[in-house]
Amino acid sequence: MAWEKVGALVMLLFSIAYGLLATKIPLSFLAQQETFTSRTMPYALAIMGGILSFLMLVLPTVNPSGKKTLAQETRGMEWSTAILLVAMMLVYGLTMKWLGFILASIIFLLAGFYVLGERRIQRMLFTAVLLVVGLWGIMSMLLGVYIAPGEIFYHLGIL
Amino acid sequence: MWEGMINGMMTGITTTMIPINIAMVLFGCFAGSFIGMLPGLGPITAVALLIPVTYALDPASGMVLLAGVYYGAIFGGSTCSILINAPGEAATVATSFQSADYFALMILGLTAVSAFAGHGGVLKALLMVVLGLMLSTVGTDQTSGTQRFTFGSLELLDGIEFLLLAMATFALTEALFIILNKDAASDSFNPKSIGISNLKVTKKEFKLIYPSILRSSFLGFFIGVLPGAGATLGSFMSYGMERNLAPPEEQKKFGKGSLRGLAAPETGNNAASSGSFVPLLTLGIPGSGTTAVMLGALIAYGIEPGPRMFIDRPDVFWAVIMSMYLGNVFLLILNLPLIPYFARLLAIPRNLMVPIILFFHSWASTLLPLTTSTS
Repeated sequence: MAWEKVGALVMLLFSIAYGLLATKIPLSFLAQQETFTSRTMPYALAIMGGILSFLMLVLPTVNPSGKKTLAQETRGMEWSTAILLVAMMLVYGLTMKWLGFILASIIFLLAGFYVLGERRIQRMLFTAVLLVVGLWGIMSMLLGVYIAPGEIFYHLGIL
Repeated sequence: MWEGMINGMMTGITTTMIPINIAMVLFGCFAGSFIGMLPGLGPITAVALLIPVTYALDPASGMVLLAGVYYGAIFGGSTCSILINAPGEAATVATSFQSADYFALMILGLTAVSAFAGHGGVLKALLMVVLGLMLSTVGTDQTSGTQRFTFGSLELLDGIEFLLLAMATFALTEALFIILNKDAASDSFNPKSIGISNLKVTKKEFKLIYPSILRSSFLGFFIGVLPGAGATLGSFMSYGMERNLAPPEEQKKFGKGSLRGLAAPETGNNAASSGSFVPLLTLGIPGSGTTAVMLGALIAYGIEPGPRMFIDRPDVFWAVIMSMYLGNVFLLILNLPLIPYFARLLAIPRNLMVPIILFFHSWASTLLPLTTSTS
């Protein structure tokens, strides 16, 4: 299947889901009597999205020989590494409040270096610590941005 | 009209010449040149990486810094592509606006995307416009106060931050592309293999390329002004124009190291990056992915980009414009003698570079709600 047809199918499903969710937008009694409500725009967008993605699905692909299929487009891509790094970004964002900027960032960077194949511990530590502490210094000391310490330090009684 | 413009320019010069802003221009040019020179990274990533640093700055200083990073990265990208043949980046007034005018402007912004989408891409472009509008409906409805698509989340009450969206769609994808395509950015480059022997332009070479530079500057700037066109189109069109204008024997050299073929796209590229600021600063319509990220930065500063910006915030408006003159002088001073040293920095391995880029993205996203809630 051509890459753009997959995209169109995803967008069609998204538009349907968006339209169905739009029916759940709460309306007050007074709002229900009005012509233009909070649901009107989402309904219009869901219909437009549905029509456009359906047209992309059914209309012939422009210059099909020049377009790659999904399999061709994704061949040789390092999906596992990319997904792992994106998951690590999520974990980093979620743990920053608890571990604090310095600790969470150093752990994230060390893990990232490791996932991408770096094994020289000294180089990993030097780069991660220097970058994070340097940035913390610039932001908090030079520019005056308050970066809260991790909540774990309060629980452990360190702060 | 002239009096107003001269006053504005004076405001811009005064704002730019504050020591902190001069330092920001210098730092922006340096950081942009460096990041733009790294293979696989372009101006979008360069601007996105520096956004957290600008949170604590005055909006004028912040925008001056980001503008410096932008044209610095374009310059750095050119250096990278010329030195190692691996592109560092993809491209390498109204004062009395009424609501109807704003509505027309909004329609222009939304339809311009499809107009420049090219053959076969109109449906896709329109679909993405609809997707963008769908995402903008998340949060509290400004008319009725009703919550839409928030799923009970407090974080979604204010909607999805434009800057976050711009960084996720433009900047983060660049970094993920490097991970997905291992071959797109090789592990490292051997600076010794670059072979920088003579970096000075001779009189003969200058005589050959200066008409191309002049032509491409004008063409690139006007291409950059078109909303949605960006620096890539400016680069390609300048190259195409120069090839068509060149005599047949010179045309054969294009793509094989022709000086005219090299000067034209790089000039067009640089000129288009300056031109793309015109729709951003005057209409609030980003001309490229990078200016879309900068539009997000402006919104995060609490500045409404659009026709009233140069009335409400002339310091920011004119400082960005006037700082470009200073920035380009800095770029020349920085880059000409430092190219051999910059080239050595290309040896940063991919397995260290990519996590650092992702770290900056995540960090910027985490810091953003903190700063916008206090601004």
